Amino acid sequence: MLAEQFQPTATEAPCFRAVGIFKAFGHVQALQGASLDAYAGRVTALVGDNGAGKSTIVKIMAGLFPADDGHLELDGHEVRFRTPTDALNAGIATVFQDLALVEVLDVATNIYLGRIPVRWQLVDDRRLHDDAADQLQALRIRVPSVRVPVGMLSGGQRQAVAVARAVTQGSRIIIMDEPTAALGVRETRQVLDVVRELRAQGRGVIVISHDLETVFDLSDSISVFRLGRLVGVRRTAETSRDEIVSLITGSASVAVGGS
Amino acid sequence: MKTVRLAGSEGTTPSPNGDDSLTVQRADVGRDRLIERVLRNPQTALLIVIILFSAFVELSNRNFLTFDNVVNILRDGSFIFIIAVAGTFVLVGGGLDLSVGSVFALSSVASAMLIANYGIPYPAAFVLGIVVGALCGLVNAIIVIYGRIPALITTLGMLYVARGMTWIITGGSGTQYLPQGFGDIASLRQWGVPLMVYYAFLIGIMAHVILEHTRFGYGVRAVGGNREAARACGINVTRTTLILFVASGAAAGLSGVLMASRLQSGQPSIGQGLELQVITAAIIGGTSLFGGLGTIPGTFLGTLLIAVLQNGLVQIQIDPLWQNVVVGIVLVTSVGLDQVRRARMWRGPARARA
Repeated sequence: MLAEQFQPTATEAPCFRAVGIFKAFGHVQALQGASLDAYAGRVTALVGDNGAGKSTIVKIMAGLFPADDGHLELDGHEVRFRTPTDALNAGIATVFQDLALVEVLDVATNIYLGRIPVRWQLVDDRRLHDDAADQLQALRIRVPSVRVPVGMLSGGQRQAVAVARAVTQGSRIIIMDEPTAALGVRETRQVLDVVRELRAQGRGVIVISHDLETVFDLSDSISVFRLGRLVGVRRTAETSRDEIVSLITGSASVAVGGS
Repeated sequence: MKTVRLAGSEGTTPSPNGDDSLTVQRADVGRDRLIERVLRNPQTALLIVIILFSAFVELSNRNFLTFDNVVNILRDGSFIFIIAVAGTFVLVGGGLDLSVGSVFALSSVASAMLIANYGIPYPAAFVLGIVVGALCGLVNAIIVIYGRIPALITTLGMLYVARGMTWIITGGSGTQYLPQGFGDIASLRQWGVPLMVYYAFLIGIMAHVILEHTRFGYGVRAVGGNREAARACGINVTRTTLILFVASGAAAGLSGVLMASRLQSGQPSIGQGLELQVITAAIIGGTSLFGGLGTIPGTFLGTLLIAVLQNGLVQIQIDPLWQNVVVGIVLVTSVGLDQVRRARMWRGPARARA
C-alpha cells in the first residue's frame, strides 16, 4: 500500500514550508512575507479573514504561480515549482476549491487522469477500476461504484474523489482549499474522516477553512493569516476559539468574554 | 445493480470501525447486463428509427433495400462519415470545426488540378490533397490556440477563406477527365462495394479504438469535459487541441480527394453545407456540442440516418426540397429526447433512493 512508504509518526521538523513569501497582483499586495509550515502526519489548519492571502500562498505552494520573493523548502532544501506538474512530482498535491474533476468521466478515470494505466498502448480498463477501488478502500471513501460518472455524485463524494486523486498522485503533502465549504453535515464528516485517514498514514495535510468548528475538530496546529502575513501559530490542543478569532481579526490584546 | 450500496447518501451513518461492508464496489460491479445496456442505449432508439423508416420506404418502393441502393447509401454516407468521425473528436474535445465543407472542396480541386494542370502523379496528388486539408486544420488550430479566437469564429472564417480560395484557383470551372487510376482509388469495387466504403469503415474502427481505449482518447474527453482539470492533471491541452483540428482538416481533405476520385473531376461547388451535415450526424448520434460526450458508433448511426433519409425521401418521391425540413426536425427532436434522457439519468439514483 502507498501508505507504508510514509513515516507513521509526526516529526517535529517541518517537511514542507513556505518562507517569507511576497506576492502582488497589480497594486494589491496579497502576501507580505507570509510563512507556512506543514508537518508529516499532522493536519495544519490555515485560517484568516477573506483576503488574508490563504488561497494565494496555497497556489504558490502548488506551483500555480511563482512568488515575487521568498522561497519554498522541502525537507530543508529549497525547491522551485514552475508548473503544477513540478509540485506534483515533488509529492505535493492540491485539492482546489473548484475540485477540477471531469463530470462526464467516471470516478476511476478521474482519480487516474493523466496517469491512466495502459497495456500495449490500450487502456487497461480492469486495472484502472480495480486500482481505483483499492485506493478508495484504503482511504475508506465510499462511492456507489468506480464506474459512476462524477457528475452523478454528491458534493461530499466529489470532494472525496478529488482527495483520492491527490493521494494517488503519490503525495506526501496534501493541500486542501476549503474542503468542506458547501457540504452538508454528513458529507463534511465524510471528508473529515478522509483527512484523518491521511494523517494516520503519515501524510502532511494543510487545510484552509473558514469553519472554526471543523478546524478545532480536525487540526493539530492552527496557522493564522492576517493581511498577507502569518500572525500566529497555535497548537490546537493549547488554544481557544477566542484566541484564534482575535488573531484573525487583529484584536489579539483584547480578551473576548466567555470560556 | 441491486448490490450497489449508495454509501454516504442512503441515510445511515457510517459504522465507526469503517467495516468492509461499506466499501466501494469492485470493477465488475456497476457493469450492467448486456441486454440492459442495449435497451437503455440511446443509439438503440436511433437504430430503431432507421429500421422503421427503411421498412416504410421499402413498402412503398421495392427498389430501396436492393443491394445496389444500399451500397449507394453507404457510399454517399461515407463522405460524411469520414469527416464526422474527426468532427466527433473535435466536439468531444470541446471544439467545433465549421470549415470542413470548404476544406473538402479546396482539397478536392487541389488534387484534381495538381494532376491535370501540373502533371503530378495521381498518388502524390492524392496525398497532397490531404496535406492541403491538414494545413487548413493547422491554421485553425494555431488561431484557436495562440490567437485565442473562439473555434466557432476561427473555423467560420476558414469556411469563407477556403471556399474563396477554391473559387479563385479554379476560376469557377471544374477540372475534368482525371485518369482512371485516380478514379479507382474510391470507386474500384471489391465484392460489389466501392473501396470508399471500406476506407470509411476502417477509419471508423480505428477512431473508435483511439477514442475509447487509448490515453489520447481519454485525454480528449477530459479536455472537452473540463479543460482546467485536464491541464491540472498534466494532460497537454494545447497538443490535444492541435491534433484535433489538424485531424479534422486532414479528414475533410481525405474525403474531398476521395470525392474528386469518385467524380474523376474537381468541382469547386461541392461540399456546401457539408459542415452542417457533419455536425448533425455527430449530434444525432449523441455527441454533445458542449464537449466530453460522444461516440463513434453513435456518429455512425447519425450519419446512416442522414444518408438513409436523403436516399429514402427520393425513393418515395418526396420533393427533395423537403429533405432539409425532415433533417432539421430529426435533429432537434433527437437532441430534445436526449436531454430528457440525460436529465433522468443524472437524477435517477437520487430518485430511486427517495
